[in-house]
Amino acid sequence: MIEFKKFTLDNNLKVIFHHDPSTPMAVVNTLFDVGARDEDENKTGFAHLFEHLMFGGSANIPDFDGPLQQAGGESNAFTSNDITNYYDTLPAHNLETALWLESDRMLNLAFTPKSLEVQRQVVIEEFKQRYLNQPYGDAWLEFRPLAYKKHSYKWATIGKEVAHIEDATMQDVKEFFSKYYNPSNAILCIAGNFEEAFVQDMVNKWYRDIPAGIKVPRNIPQEPSQKEFREKTIERNVPADAFYYGFKMPGKTDELYYTADLLSDVLGRGKSSRLHTKIYKELNLASEIAAYVLGAHDEGLLMISGKLNNGVSFDQLDDAIWEVLETVKARPIDLTELKKIKNKVETTAVFSDQGILNKAMSLSAHELLGDANHINVEQQIYDNVTAEMIHTYAQHKLVKTNCSVLKIKASTK
Amino acid sequence: MIDRKKQPSISKIDKIDFLEPKHFTIKDEVKLHLIDSVDDESVKIDFIFNAGTKNDEVHIASFVSAMLLSGTHEKTTSDINEQIDGLGGFFQAEASRENAYVAVYGLKKNIHAILDIVIDAITYVSFPQEEIDQLIAKNQQNFKVSSEKVSFLARRAFGKSLFEGTQYEAHAEYEDFETVTRDQLVTFHDKFYLNGLEKVCVTANLAEEDVKNIIDKVSNWSNKHPREYVELLTNTPKTVHIEKEGAIQTAIRIGRILFTRKKEDFLVFSVLNLVLGGYFGSRLMSNIREDKGYTYGIGSGVMEMQSTGYFFISTEVGKAVAEDAIIEIKKEIETLQNVLISEEELTLVKNYAIGQLLQSSDGPNAMMDRFLSIDKYGLGYDYYDRIMQTFNESTPEKIREMAKKYLNWNDFLIITAG
Repeated sequence: MIEFKKFTLDNNLKVIFHHDPSTPMAVVNTLFDVGARDEDENKTGFAHLFEHLMFGGSANIPDFDGPLQQAGGESNAFTSNDITNYYDTLPAHNLETALWLESDRMLNLAFTPKSLEVQRQVVIEEFKQRYLNQPYGDAWLEFRPLAYKKHSYKWATIGKEVAHIEDATMQDVKEFFSKYYNPSNAILCIAGNFEEAFVQDMVNKWYRDIPAGIKVPRNIPQEPSQKEFREKTIERNVPADAFYYGFKMPGKTDELYYTADLLSDVLGRGKSSRLHTKIYKELNLASEIAAYVLGAHDEGLLMISGKLNNGVSFDQLDDAIWEVLETVKARPIDLTELKKIKNKVETTAVFSDQGILNKAMSLSAHELLGDANHINVEQQIYDNVTAEMIHTYAQHKLVKTNCSVLKIKASTK
Repeated sequence: MIDRKKQPSISKIDKIDFLEPKHFTIKDEVKLHLIDSVDDESVKIDFIFNAGTKNDEVHIASFVSAMLLSGTHEKTTSDINEQIDGLGGFFQAEASRENAYVAVYGLKKNIHAILDIVIDAITYVSFPQEEIDQLIAKNQQNFKVSSEKVSFLARRAFGKSLFEGTQYEAHAEYEDFETVTRDQLVTFHDKFYLNGLEKVCVTANLAEEDVKNIIDKVSNWSNKHPREYVELLTNTPKTVHIEKEGAIQTAIRIGRILFTRKKEDFLVFSVLNLVLGGYFGSRLMSNIREDKGYTYGIGSGVMEMQSTGYFFISTEVGKAVAEDAIIEIKKEIETLQNVLISEEELTLVKNYAIGQLLQSSDGPNAMMDRFLSIDKYGLGYDYYDRIMQTFNESTPEKIREMAKKYLNWNDFLIITAG
């Protein structure tokens, strides 16, 4: 059970406070309800580029990191298709420095041309390092537009292409900031060994004069329900053939999300999973194979991916995968197997609730999806999933017409 | 009105509370260390074996590590994994140059059952030939994939040149994997696992009785072999380029053999390392990422081994700017050798370093790590007081002295791949 308090400022800023008396550190986590899915199709990669610019100085403070380091702390951030999340960790007695810095960059940025110019270059190098200059790095750049035709999940967080990042202008930056970076669109979480009243005073002091802004209604094109099997083969200079199967699944706020998550565990989590046992161990078709869910807020994907062994064809693999999928559709899994996957979920939950940073991020993410307290009931939802629910789900969703497959073929030089 | 231009007052950390683990003897020098101030049901158990890659050709140690759960005469690997998973347990194994590590995770209610399965599997592992063959194929494929990455090529060449002529130099080549025989694995396993346990660390709210139980289960694994480590004091400086066709980035590794924390200069050098490339605001990040935009990231670090250590700078930059990046790295080092760092920058780095020390001591697992990093060198907790003192007493002159003494460009290995 993770205890927390919640309050909202007059400018709509939602604040969560988690009291942890066991640590000398504090965390300030700020989640903005904006991700790559909110981007314009012709200006992709922008939410992430913007995350970099948030470290380039704010209205009253030219340097973000320096004062935080001076206070013994550090900071980082990440952008996903759904959200942008910033976090600071620092000694608890210096909490106020983090609030001063975070509130100032929520108030306004410095918008220096130098920062934009340099961060464009840095992000382009990131694009190269992670997506272009390593084998299979562009798999998701290829897979997303295959699985999504309308929804903005069709591009990756880094963006569709380097050119979109090169073309970002200062005007784009300013518009993006005023649209999304305001209290109405943010969740602040503070964790550490503090009195609640102190946290309230501090948050009020630094945040209450920030204009509320307007919560922008999300207007993303709905993905039409998939009705056909999709398949794409690309050739790349890679050492081994690779495969990516994606099945559409409900987003995180749907209870069926948890059923799909457990189904993916049955199929491909760890070495005793069905796909690993059959395709890696028994048939020796793949050198690695796993199944997992992407954890998307909107309609997401249950993925099966891996690499083929030398001399094995995509067709052999495809037959074997569908054979395994048929086993979970034919009859409900037995109780031992159900217990096994639930036990793993339980262990994972205990370990992932350790440390104030994990807790602060998780509370913020749950609050965005409706209620921070969801962090405390999630385990119960998993527990409530039955073998029959998984069975029914598999029958409906593990079908060809709900499936997209990307094959990366090793080109013969 | 609040003054948004002025940083709120900050206070310094003058003391960090370290929690010493409880110590139990498994056999002679082999100990179990327990940190039991864990407020949830989690259990983490680490076994440290004298089974690093230094003991043999590199692929034997890593094969044994990867095959610890590959099956016994009674059970297949799938049976074993099924049982551990069934109890909500997690298992990890890895081998480094000097040691091999096995980590077992689970919840209190199942931990003894999980351990029994793991210990039985490790004790009676039979290294089935078909498992060996499968691992060979898998390693070969992974090796091919890794070899496409410039970071892998540079890191590998760096380690090879750094430790040239010692048993730390060994690196498996693609052809090596298929030469592995079952006999080699059996011999290595018997010598360095069944008779090679060096240490057990438990982070869990367990009773002494539970701990005794764990000790009973592994006491006959205790290490019976001398522990021999490379005591390298220097390396041959050289410049190596590995051509990688089609690469759009170049990986750069620059560094040299240095020392461990037993050497007096270690702590002041650590401050110098922070200034140069050890944090986000470092000289290298400020210049090469935040000013020039050449890279997504650049950093430097100090690696400690048992009886030696090394310093390294690591980055991947756009291919076209690789030469420029190296010139800028050299410039930053020379600046540290010639121009005194300002009190302002030094104060920031000291504060940051002590904040990091506080953070890296936060929580039971972190406390165990802090213990291990002094225990490894036979140091006591007073060492941490010395860290705080040395950080606080570092002066611009001392930092410059360290740069002059240890960061001479002519002493460096310079590796590029791209």
